[in-house]
Amino acid sequence: MTSRTHIIAAALCMGAVFAAPQAWAVGDAGKGRNVFAEECGDCHSPVAGTNKKGPSLHGVIGRKAGSVADFSGYSDAMRQSGIEWTPDRLDVYLTLPRKTVVGGKMKYDGLPDAAARADVIAYLMSLK
Amino acid sequence: MEIASMRSLRALAASLLLGLAASAAHALPSYARQTGSECAACHVGGFGPQLTPYGMKFKIGGYADTDGKDGKVPLSAMMVANWTRTAKDAADGDKIKHFGSNDNAAMQEASLFLAGRLADNLGTFVQATWSGVDRKSALDQADLRYARTLQFGDKESTVGLSLNSNPTLTDPLNTLGQWRFPYTASDFNAGFGPSPLVESLASGVVGANAYVFFDNHLYAEAGLYNTLSKTTLDRINADDPGKFKGVGKYWRLAYLVDRKRDNFSVGLSGFDANLQPDRTDLGTGDKYRDLGIDAAYQFLGNREHIFTVNASYMKEWQTLDYTAGKLGEADKRGGSLDQLRVAASYHYLQTWGLTAGYFDSRGNRDATRNSSSLNGKPNTSGYILQADWTPWGKEGSWGAPWANVRLGLQYTGYERFMGGAHFLDADGNERRARDNNTTMLFMWMSI
Repeated sequence: MTSRTHIIAAALCMGAVFAAPQAWAVGDAGKGRNVFAEECGDCHSPVAGTNKKGPSLHGVIGRKAGSVADFSGYSDAMRQSGIEWTPDRLDVYLTLPRKTVVGGKMKYDGLPDAAARADVIAYLMSLK
Repeated sequence: MEIASMRSLRALAASLLLGLAASAAHALPSYARQTGSECAACHVGGFGPQLTPYGMKFKIGGYADTDGKDGKVPLSAMMVANWTRTAKDAADGDKIKHFGSNDNAAMQEASLFLAGRLADNLGTFVQATWSGVDRKSALDQADLRYARTLQFGDKESTVGLSLNSNPTLTDPLNTLGQWRFPYTASDFNAGFGPSPLVESLASGVVGANAYVFFDNHLYAEAGLYNTLSKTTLDRINADDPGKFKGVGKYWRLAYLVDRKRDNFSVGLSGFDANLQPDRTDLGTGDKYRDLGIDAAYQFLGNREHIFTVNASYMKEWQTLDYTAGKLGEADKRGGSLDQLRVAASYHYLQTWGLTAGYFDSRGNRDATRNSSSLNGKPNTSGYILQADWTPWGKEGSWGAPWANVRLGLQYTGYERFMGGAHFLDADGNERRARDNNTTMLFMWMSI
């Protein structure tokens, strides 16, 4: 394979990756900060190491569910869910939490507005 | 009639007529320590007691929610200190013992609380208070709760039981007697007009209530109350409201819509009791029937700008078979009372607060019962303005979750007092309603 072929193949692969269908749409982190304050902030902190009734959501993207070491309030269902929090999984979870993790403790009915979910996920991704 | 019983009757009459608050309402860091949440999660403005829906659900859940960590101690303390200036010096007969006729500074109350989770689903809100004005200690408020979450089909409900000392203490909204604005008021203030019986029984009764919060919308509660024995009242240093004939019946219905960004509620409440004011002369009582309607709205948004409006109206029907028929201390057996209360608040950054309230209480003409009124009516109305500063109580605040403080300035202006623009003071001299206008500086701390 020539180097030109390599470049074309790589470009096609990248194009395939970016064209892959995803449930979650990229949101606005600035708007997501407000959504977080309205929907999540009573129970969750965006600050690393600050746990409330729910665990800190700093660094939640890429984290295994039920894995914040100094948070004691997880349900068995959450610990055993095997979920790794990708944007797509968060999008599904935030739509209807009690259906995604049956037996979970989070008393939240869900966020039906897809744009608001995308925004708050973008905000969570920005927390580093 | 014994002197003690006469005192009891007068204390109840004063409470009914002047609408004196039992004590400041509350913000408790022990709940913050228990849940890991900041004060501002449960309370508008970062300080109690005005509850957000999150705070309402914590209360409905039996004060038992936690962050899952053990070792939390359900103890808190609170202190309210204030300085009060009244437009015109108090008459000699209206002066409070140990204090002057004006410009009084006082540590109005210092309280200890057993407040928080005792076990799974079981929690408390119990307050013992030392009053620096009355110079005595008392068991102020008590609410012991058990609550569970149940599933009805696909709807979740919280059901609970409460053993408590005050009919409106149990309510989760910010509109009924114990929990509405003003959340603290000076003991040197002339009060906010006649109050219905349901708001005048704090610590003098014990109630067993059952409640349900269905699908995060419908709140229903019913309770049966009885008056405490004289021995018990003496032990806890509570005022004697008299003795119920039968039991007092309390009920509450409210519908809440919580849209996170904002929320609103509408509700109804009621109380029925037959009260024998004099324990040494039982048999005939005074019947009270209270029926109220209330509504509230909160805009919470991202918590930077918070607006609230709380309103309530209560009608009381009175049949004074004892006070009028037997004692002769009222002209008529039939009486009525209409009480309207409205308050609107704005808070910026959960730190700076402005609140304006309006109070209007009207009763029937009765020259014997309302002897300080020039027209025989007890009508009292006016407004309350408050500005306050709450520097802590937010996530990451200094001292969290151990300390919180609110500094405030409150002004009460009277349009009418005991009937109209003029009334008779305790010395029998005519006094203008606006002479009671009160300015209070206060510091309210809790740990």
